[in-house]
Amino acid sequence: MSFSRRAFLALAATGCAPCVAPPGRKTAPLWFTYGGKNRQVLEGLVKTFNQSQSEHWITPIYQGDYFEGLAKLRTAIAARRAPALSHVVGEVVPYLAEANVLEPLDGYPGARELDIVPALGQAGSWIGGADRRLVALPFNRSTPIAYLNGKLFAEKNLSAPKTWDELRAVARAFTGPGRYGFGCPIDWWFWAALVGQAGGDVVEPDGRVSLGGQAGERALDFWKTLVLEDKSMKPPPGRDYNAWEQTNQDFLGSRVAMIWTSTAFLKYLEENAPFPVVAAPLPADRRRAVPTGGTHWIMLRAAPAEQKPTAWAFLRFMHETEHAITWATRTGYMPVTRAAIAKLEADGYYQQHPNDRVALDQLGVARPWPWSPDLFRVQREIVQPRLEGAVLGGRDTRASLDEARALATRWR
Amino acid sequence: MRPSRRLDPLWMLGPTLVLLVVFFFVPLLQAAKSSLYEWDLLTEPRYVGLDNYRALIDSGELGHALSTTLIMSAVVVVGSMTLGLALALALNRPTRFAAFVRSAIFSAYVVSWVSVALLWLWVLDADAGAFTALCRALHIPTTNWLGNPKSALYALSGVTIWKIAGYSMVLFLAGLQDIPRSLYEAASLDGAGAWQRFVNVTWPLLRPTAAFVGTTSLIISFQVFDVVRVMTQGGPVRSTSVFVYAIYEQVFLNLRVGRASALVVVFFVLLLGLTALQLWAWRKKGAA
Repeated sequence: MSFSRRAFLALAATGCAPCVAPPGRKTAPLWFTYGGKNRQVLEGLVKTFNQSQSEHWITPIYQGDYFEGLAKLRTAIAARRAPALSHVVGEVVPYLAEANVLEPLDGYPGARELDIVPALGQAGSWIGGADRRLVALPFNRSTPIAYLNGKLFAEKNLSAPKTWDELRAVARAFTGPGRYGFGCPIDWWFWAALVGQAGGDVVEPDGRVSLGGQAGERALDFWKTLVLEDKSMKPPPGRDYNAWEQTNQDFLGSRVAMIWTSTAFLKYLEENAPFPVVAAPLPADRRRAVPTGGTHWIMLRAAPAEQKPTAWAFLRFMHETEHAITWATRTGYMPVTRAAIAKLEADGYYQQHPNDRVALDQLGVARPWPWSPDLFRVQREIVQPRLEGAVLGGRDTRASLDEARALATRWR
Repeated sequence: MRPSRRLDPLWMLGPTLVLLVVFFFVPLLQAAKSSLYEWDLLTEPRYVGLDNYRALIDSGELGHALSTTLIMSAVVVVGSMTLGLALALALNRPTRFAAFVRSAIFSAYVVSWVSVALLWLWVLDADAGAFTALCRALHIPTTNWLGNPKSALYALSGVTIWKIAGYSMVLFLAGLQDIPRSLYEAASLDGAGAWQRFVNVTWPLLRPTAAFVGTTSLIISFQVFDVVRVMTQGGPVRSTSVFVYAIYEQVFLNLRVGRASALVVVFFVLLLGLTALQLWAWRKKGAA
């Protein structure tokens, strides 16, 4: 079969039309880091932006998961090929800011009028965030929430656990051959939630890495009880986002009755589960608490100057009420502007979609992170392996956290 | 043999030499230099002398990566040689069925590492995996093969053996088919049984093949990365953090170019030592 040049050109013209900027547009690349449904929604919004005006053109480029994307971003900065626009996880923002690679955003037109939900923006995400130059805007912001298999819970006439004791009882009630009651990645983010619920903070407001003190031990011991003693919690194989994905698959396959994961997966789980998915707030121990997560938009200082206005135009577009709502309601991430939340409330969206409301309500108990350039390294290199060692390797809780605390202190 | 023109060998070796210099020696020297700096690719590199090596030793990461890699190598080399030889002995017969089974087993070798890793991720699932189901049916105790720090490294070694056993089998088959039938006939006439024929005829004549299979398996086991990246990401509790993955983790996840470079240098010295040992063993045998 021959393939004529005309057919090839026709295919190129139709199939690749959205990838190529029309003549005369100012262009800027956007490096983004998710696949699946969230990718489709973002690409849809980029397409809407590109078609909604005739001056700018954003080219979205997929760069793997958060950490792969960060590695590529760093390499591109070193090679003086930085993209104008990207997004990074919150704990990396202080590191990039201190390295002086982020473009200050407060000088751009309208930057201070974006009507951002304080707990999701720079002001509420970091202790003292409002006092710093604006270098990050909220994008896909999340908290951990509980997802319940509605069918299994209805069969046993059980409801979402509100305390750690209830969580333990519910997890045991569902555990049996081929099924665990509870699933959660052994990941720093969920442990930080437990530490907060036990009454502590992983990092004190003065920047000291306390790992929650006794609350940190209590949190880790709770995991160990569920995994090693009750055998009612499944720690998934793998690390980082591979473990998270495994947890999702266990939930969708009804191999786990209840999981903790990010609000990011709300729509994905709702659309793919063969049973009703019920979202619930995380339970309390001494108090209710959750960390925030997800990513923030950043612009790179080293990007070509002519690309920056286009990148900024796109950021403003994403913070317009309609588009903030599109992003939130199609993915499960939280709306980042107060106007978007108000409109959703007024339209009755949360009455129709109570699952979407859970993360939003949890914002009232969200704990901000310290502005620490070292936090992500303390997390990755010191704390995370010791959490795994205690829960999966059965190491002594106090010894593990004392060692981590000592290493983190020496680090500073 | 002397070349007719003295420069001929040089220009013939030239292209390879250029490639080696550009893609091997220069990066290696660069890595050696980077290993003396603290650098995250964003801020200015800071000279720290041997601190990166010291940090790797003090934190136990170097020893851990070394022991993990050596354990995996030992299991993979022994496993792939044993399985490859057993398969070759069982399938060294001129039937269509044997040919089909040989092809089926070898097919695993040509499948990409990532595909193999994804397949085994499913097979080894702690609840719904085929391997777990098989163990349960046979009343063999099961565990979370990839989630248990005691079993994860052996699970990855098993996957690697499964992937490369077909290649070992083909090499052993070629070696077996080179052994003259007359030797077996003579041994049989002398009253040798199957085991004695294997010990006294097959194995001595297969030794060169076995040495080659052992070397290639060793190289593959030292280069393992994809199965670790896809199946365990070095966990749980760093139990599968082999050398190449540890290098990747330092540079791309921890953003530590200096420590990653120090690991590269140590890895190079380790491989150089093993190669020298191997050459010494071969020369010694040749001299004897």
